[in-house]
Amino acid sequence: MNAQRIAALDERAEALRLKRGMGIADARAMHPSIDVVEADPEADRRLLEGLADWCDRYTPLVAIDGADGLYLDVTGCTHLFGGERAMQDEILSRFLEQGFDVRAGLAATPGAAWAAARFCGDRIVDSGEEEALLAPLPLTALRIEPGIRASLESVGLRTAGAVMAAPRAPLARRFGATLLLRLDQALGRLDEAVSPRLPVAPLSVERHLAEPVMLTDDIERLVSLLATALKGDLERRGEGARALALLLFRVDGAVSRIAVGTSRPLREPLLIRRLFHERLAALEQDIDAGYGFDLVRLSVLSAAAFDMQQADLTGEAADDDADIALFADRIRARLGEAAVLRPVAVESHLPERAVATIPFSEAPQRRAPPKQPGRDTPPMTIFPPERPIRLFRAPEPVEVPATEMPEGPPMNFRWRRALYRVTRAEGPERIAPEWWRQLPGEAVAPTRDYYRIEDSEGRRYWLYRQGLYGASDTPPRWFMHGVFA
Amino acid sequence: MAMTAVARETVFALRRQIAKIEGTLPERLEAPSGAAFDARPDIPRGADVTVVRRGLAVAAPDAFLRTGVERLDAALSGGLPKAALSEIHGAETRDAGAVAGFALSLVSLILREQPRLPVLWIGTAEIFREAGFPYARGLHAGFGIAPEQLLFSEAPKLVDALWIAEEAARMTALAAVVLEIRGSPQRLDLTATRRLHARAQDAGRPVLLLRQAGEAEPTAAPVRLIVSAAPSASRETIAGPLAGSIGRPAFTVTIGKSRTALPGQFTLEWNPDEHAFEERGTKDPVAVVPISARRAHPAPAPGAVLAFPAVATPATTSPTACDQPSRHERPTHRRPRRAG
Repeated sequence: MNAQRIAALDERAEALRLKRGMGIADARAMHPSIDVVEADPEADRRLLEGLADWCDRYTPLVAIDGADGLYLDVTGCTHLFGGERAMQDEILSRFLEQGFDVRAGLAATPGAAWAAARFCGDRIVDSGEEEALLAPLPLTALRIEPGIRASLESVGLRTAGAVMAAPRAPLARRFGATLLLRLDQALGRLDEAVSPRLPVAPLSVERHLAEPVMLTDDIERLVSLLATALKGDLERRGEGARALALLLFRVDGAVSRIAVGTSRPLREPLLIRRLFHERLAALEQDIDAGYGFDLVRLSVLSAAAFDMQQADLTGEAADDDADIALFADRIRARLGEAAVLRPVAVESHLPERAVATIPFSEAPQRRAPPKQPGRDTPPMTIFPPERPIRLFRAPEPVEVPATEMPEGPPMNFRWRRALYRVTRAEGPERIAPEWWRQLPGEAVAPTRDYYRIEDSEGRRYWLYRQGLYGASDTPPRWFMHGVFA
Repeated sequence: MAMTAVARETVFALRRQIAKIEGTLPERLEAPSGAAFDARPDIPRGADVTVVRRGLAVAAPDAFLRTGVERLDAALSGGLPKAALSEIHGAETRDAGAVAGFALSLVSLILREQPRLPVLWIGTAEIFREAGFPYARGLHAGFGIAPEQLLFSEAPKLVDALWIAEEAARMTALAAVVLEIRGSPQRLDLTATRRLHARAQDAGRPVLLLRQAGEAEPTAAPVRLIVSAAPSASRETIAGPLAGSIGRPAFTVTIGKSRTALPGQFTLEWNPDEHAFEERGTKDPVAVVPISARRAHPAPAPGAVLAFPAVATPATTSPTACDQPSRHERPTHRRPRRAG
């Protein structure tokens, strides 16, 4: 069970008649000089995904097949590369230049292409020729499980052609529906969907470069060229981009994918360029231009309706909001999603829940200007509770040696290793936990009694005592939750 | 000095330009009534203008943010410059509440003139962790800044915070930019502050640099204020100040650097209802009864003033007895009424 076995071989090892699944000890006994490298399925997977990324240059519909295959749906793409034959040759030669031994097959159905790639080598199967292709091939070409294959072979059906010739009803009854499903899919009687790895961008423009570019300035210039081309498409659709991705295909096969988001629909090439300028500046170390990029693609990942705003005659109000949105997008492009935050008031008694800070791009857009807190609108409550201006994200524990009364404010307290003498205190304001949010099995959170406290130097703090004296075995604990002005 | 008016104009214009390039702020003087001033055709006589010592350039009267406290405004010769970087220092991190409170009061005053524009508060992750994140409920209640008007930016590093601040300082779509950092980092030197100041000047918007636990270092900001918390006055009630209560926020403001002001110290109180500053000591905080226009202030009652009258003599202190005149004073009561 614990024997090490051969997972993959190179050509020279195959020439030595070593086989997959053979124990390492056996192989060493046959050829003591072989070089053994431990298999790393994770690395293989990453490599395959890298190749899939690179194949994005031929079609947006690339799917990973098993551990060692890729499906490329090239429907409607072949004319861009000079026909099916030319495209397949191009793919094969470019993989060969990168040092990969690749076999390709091109057919009208995924099943036939799969079989052609694995059993016929470099072959292009025209529509309708699938049956002729599959008939002489062994059963493995039908993509069926080894168990089914073994039982088919045991009854003398050794080629795909033999299965095709056999009556269907007994086959289905004896070997299950999968066999006939695979057969029909390969022959094109049933459609088979290949699910692509990445969602297909609604719009994308690309530019093949005869001379690879390396400099960031050149990339930015290309972005504005591509964005200018995108603008027309977006205008026709009446949309603006909410998320954009820039794909840089390096000459040697590595693909860099740079995404930016916008907080409002955008179609202006100059602004798109500025967003990518920030993103490229932030990623300067991570992007390795190597020998240069020979294909640059700009895709709109998601688009939203672009509502044209008519500026008023002064042209001020609309501009300000757009300026701020662009400013927030640029900061987000450089520093990440949470770089610009906007507070949103939430109905809650708990101070930490009463305000949610959410990223600017997700915040509701401000439509009307905020109403000035006028004198004519009465306040919600006559005496609104006093709230601090700064709140600690996590309440910090405070040592309280003594309180005036058991339930009263502290006389002094120790916070961050410094002792504070309390001169005045207001409170308590009792804030009970929100029982309607508690899960049935959860322990009841203790109530908090908040005190406003002023120390001897005039600083004002918001302390609370968690729990009550005598209510439970654990004595109440004190916390610093905020600071007043 | 026989100098033609045209030549003088040219010299003034050049000096103004030099002052602009140098980034110096107008220094204020009393407006002279001399011939040099009267010769300016573009200024109406008697207008409220400020004469700049360097080159006699004229600053508009609304170039300064008035704090509303006469002495402080006078000391800063008109107020805090609006289109400039201003530094607000706190001696220790635990003063962050007072420093932020004072800065927010200034922001609240700025927003009174720019009610539509938002405010951006930039801070490093360190200061927000150490001093607490600004709490929008408190800002709304105490300073009238609505949550929709607030934008926060938390930068992982100081470099990023400075970059955001520089980008934000040049935007006219923001009412004010608050940059909060901790300590005296090497990177925030004279050059960095000069860049911020120049951008603030160009955009015409204030940039407030809050430095918690920072030392006074060379800075391009024309004004540096040092703020610490001051013990607040008690809450005022009808019956006088309520003992042991914590009233309005109070700050001790020291002018650390100013081109024109002498060093001075002020104790300011922020009125959260009116959104205005008051200087402590100028108004009698205990005065509950307004001073009458005709007579002198009524003599204080002997003994301590209590919230409730003593209940020892119920006959004289019952509310009906107090409010109603006695039977001898009301003529209608002299005649006993008959029923029917």
